[in-house]
Amino acid sequence: MNVPVTFVERAHRGIGNRSTAAGEVGARRMMSHRIAASADYPAMEEMRDQARRIRLYALGHLDELLARFSDEVEGAGGHVHFAADADEAIAYIRKVAEETNVRRIVKSKSMVTEEIHLNAALEAHDLEVVETDLGEFIIQLSGDTPSHIIAPVMHKTRQDVGELFSEKLGIEYTDDPTELNNVARHHLREIFLSADMGISGCNVAIAESGSIVLVTNEGNGRLTTSAPRIHVAVMGMERIVPTLSDAAVILEVLARSATGQRLSVYTNIVTGARRPGDPDGPEEFHVVILDNGRSRVLAGDAAEVLACIRCGACLNVCPVYREAGGHAYGFTYSGPIGAVITPSLMGLAEWHDLPYASSLCGACLDACPVRIDLPGLLLKLRRDAVSEGLGPDGLEGALKWFTRLATNPGMWRGATRAGGWSAKLIARQGWIKSLPGRGSAWTDYRDLPAPAAKPFHARWKERQRES
Amino acid sequence: MPKVQLFVTCLVDSFFPEVGEAVVAVLERHGCTVEFPFDQTCCGQPAFNVGYHDQARAMAEHTIKVLDGTDGTIVVPSGSCADMMINHSPELFQPDDPIHAAAARVARRVKEFSSFLVDDLGITDAGASCEGRTATYHPSCHGFRNLGIRQQPETLLDNVAGLERVELPDAETCCGFGGLFSVEMPELSASIMSTKLTNVEASGADLLVGVDVSCLMHLAGGLRRRSREIEVKHIAEVLAEETRT
Amino acid sequence: MNREDFLERVRSAIKVSELPPIPEAPPGGLVPDLPRAGVTERFLEQVEAVDGHTHLVGSDDEAVHLIGVLLEQYGATDYLAWAPDHLPVAGLAERLRATPLDAVVPGDAEGRLEHQTGYTDLLVGITGASAGLAESGSIVLEAGPGRPRMASLIPLVHIALLRERDITQSLSHWIADHAEAAADTSNLFIITGPSRTADIEQTLNLGVHGPKHLHVVVLGG
Ligand code: SF4
Repeated sequence: MNVPVTFVERAHRGIGNRSTAAGEVGARRMMSHRIAASADYPAMEEMRDQARRIRLYALGHLDELLARFSDEVEGAGGHVHFAADADEAIAYIRKVAEETNVRRIVKSKSMVTEEIHLNAALEAHDLEVVETDLGEFIIQLSGDTPSHIIAPVMHKTRQDVGELFSEKLGIEYTDDPTELNNVARHHLREIFLSADMGISGCNVAIAESGSIVLVTNEGNGRLTTSAPRIHVAVMGMERIVPTLSDAAVILEVLARSATGQRLSVYTNIVTGARRPGDPDGPEEFHVVILDNGRSRVLAGDAAEVLACIRCGACLNVCPVYREAGGHAYGFTYSGPIGAVITPSLMGLAEWHDLPYASSLCGACLDACPVRIDLPGLLLKLRRDAVSEGLGPDGLEGALKWFTRLATNPGMWRGATRAGGWSAKLIARQGWIKSLPGRGSAWTDYRDLPAPAAKPFHARWKERQRES
Repeated sequence: MPKVQLFVTCLVDSFFPEVGEAVVAVLERHGCTVEFPFDQTCCGQPAFNVGYHDQARAMAEHTIKVLDGTDGTIVVPSGSCADMMINHSPELFQPDDPIHAAAARVARRVKEFSSFLVDDLGITDAGASCEGRTATYHPSCHGFRNLGIRQQPETLLDNVAGLERVELPDAETCCGFGGLFSVEMPELSASIMSTKLTNVEASGADLLVGVDVSCLMHLAGGLRRRSREIEVKHIAEVLAEETRT
Repeated sequence: MNREDFLERVRSAIKVSELPPIPEAPPGGLVPDLPRAGVTERFLEQVEAVDGHTHLVGSDDEAVHLIGVLLEQYGATDYLAWAPDHLPVAGLAERLRATPLDAVVPGDAEGRLEHQTGYTDLLVGITGASAGLAESGSIVLEAGPGRPRMASLIPLVHIALLRERDITQSLSHWIADHAEAAADTSNLFIITGPSRTADIEQTLNLGVHGPKHLHVVVLGG
């Protein structure tokens, strides 16, 4: 099989297919929900500014906040593990699982565990890992990957899910979402209540109390952090804010930007394991704080991207995301945030084409609740790619030639006039229908107007002569 | 009589000189003295947007040197080139480089054509007429999002005699041009374009108007493969038509 | 990686970072300007808007009666409730004990697995609530002794009892007055409507993991 290796190849598979079309409908719907939710919340713009300040403050004081957070977690009887990379995070979670005799693990939706491919690593050690977010559960059953950071199966139709459930769960085929939902509830309920370990991500961590905040709509986040005897939270190290009040600001903008809700159904704030006298809750609480490239991003000029609160708003408005589909981005994070964060975390060497997967229209910046200058960061990454010799193929020569003309007015004028004459040879009624070589990248999809026989500067000259 | 410098952009110079002439006609009709710094070429945006800063810097420097010695507002019939000259060109030079200061001086004088008419000259009715046509306006992204250009051209169109302006559905979504994106990722670019063109057709307009010839060139080229019913024009061409007396 | 090395790496990254200007003081919360007057009405309206059911009752007796009706309506055979002193309605525990319903009592850590699997078909959970948030139609709950998390999570029906005076404008308002709330419990949670998903073709479905029906009973006065 031919595995597509570039964005363009992956996008080619996505463009116009049924999954991408389903995804586009979903993205547009989420976008209009966000716009409506912002419009009926007068404090939205002010909250966004405050959320941005909070996130930037946190990044600038990340060392102090992480130190405080980890003191607080340990003070409440929890355990903190600092993981430099994916391997260290996985090794720690395996060790905990082994020491506490864990067999069955339930997970609530978490991008960061996808980033480190945690499921595969745990399954390789005979641990049963079950995704419990309905979307992620569908992804896991079908061996697929998420196409949206908030709505992982936006690319699947109800028929896709119906076929999958009837094949994998042995039920009679139905494509009624309510019935499919009931099937999943029933199937997952028993797994939840008998799981040994719950692994969650972390939307926000609160330094002053050592808490983690998880938002979900389904309730699987609360089950994951409450039913099993061990709870492990995996957090990207940047996910922190100083206080509960700061977290409130993030929460006020997060759900509105993600799904257009005022708050998600469950905002779950976990501080340590169950306490003496608590009737339920896990016996052990572990937090894995993950770097995995983040300190390198922080040290670079795209550090602002770490302010992201993973709401997905930038995906929903992005015309490239909507046409190409989330899988085109080739990694856990898709859309504009993916185009910035994947090369930042994983390096341009392998991901240098992602920063070019944008028309720089700026819709993402408008939508982003924390006003991350995504187009500006894409431009920086493009500059870095070029300086590392990783610019788009064949562009450099053409640009050097163009620059030579554009910095030499005499040559420029000569070239524009020559362009006009030669176009006469191939143009019909002022339009060119087909160009050879690289020019076909234009004419394969649209006609090209012929360069003018007499450029503007020549007309200006004439006019001056006449007057 | 305000004196203005016309920076016509590389695309207008070589592909759409009639747009440049229309700009001159409209400006002169409204009392401006138009000068054209003859050695101008390209602002450097094409190279800047794909990360080739050395090339972008060279072109920006040339542009700045050509314009810095002149006086009056620098009128640019393109939102994205104006955005480049205002928001990016200065950044290409170290703060202690004398070109940096010149770039900043130039940046302060640059104004996109339609917003110059409305914001600076206070013209909302350019005195044009365009009988029996229905137009829709596409707000090109850089001008719209980075320079806030939308209301000005729409107002100008609303006041063209005989012209009905209809809203473009989903107007604020990109047309897919994106500079070299249009040829680096042409399939995607065309796919986004096709959504835009469907909306243009749905608007019911027979005339598509914009302030950026780059996006318009892409859309016009795409439209020719779908239907010949819809004409594409830069706003200056609409405003230059048949002055009412 | 050990903590010190990890944090040192972060510290040196910050030093060379090209972040936009960083605020010097912690920014803190922001409390939007929302009127206090009319919070109850807005709360009730907003709970309904997120697919919850609301009941405004004037007395404990009325509340007790209402809960009886709800239990019957859902055909409950058992229930999991918070301890009586954490429910703001006098006489509810006695009333429930007088019914033929089985009270499910949370187990201890020892027998948890066995015990928990018994929750599978639990129909009704009854809890109190620390606050109601008018702007989002949310209720705030704090787990702790006598207040099992599961009562608001496992059953198909969640009945939450809330004092009207505990309704405030919004999340930000409540947190501004309860800055320590996260530290005070192992689990602070805010519930905004019944469990929902829109994962399959963005079609709304209630009760995917948590309760399908949420009844908020507001005790007036
Ligand atoms: S970059 Fe902004 S809009 Fe995109 S996911 Fe992150 S916070 Fe949301």
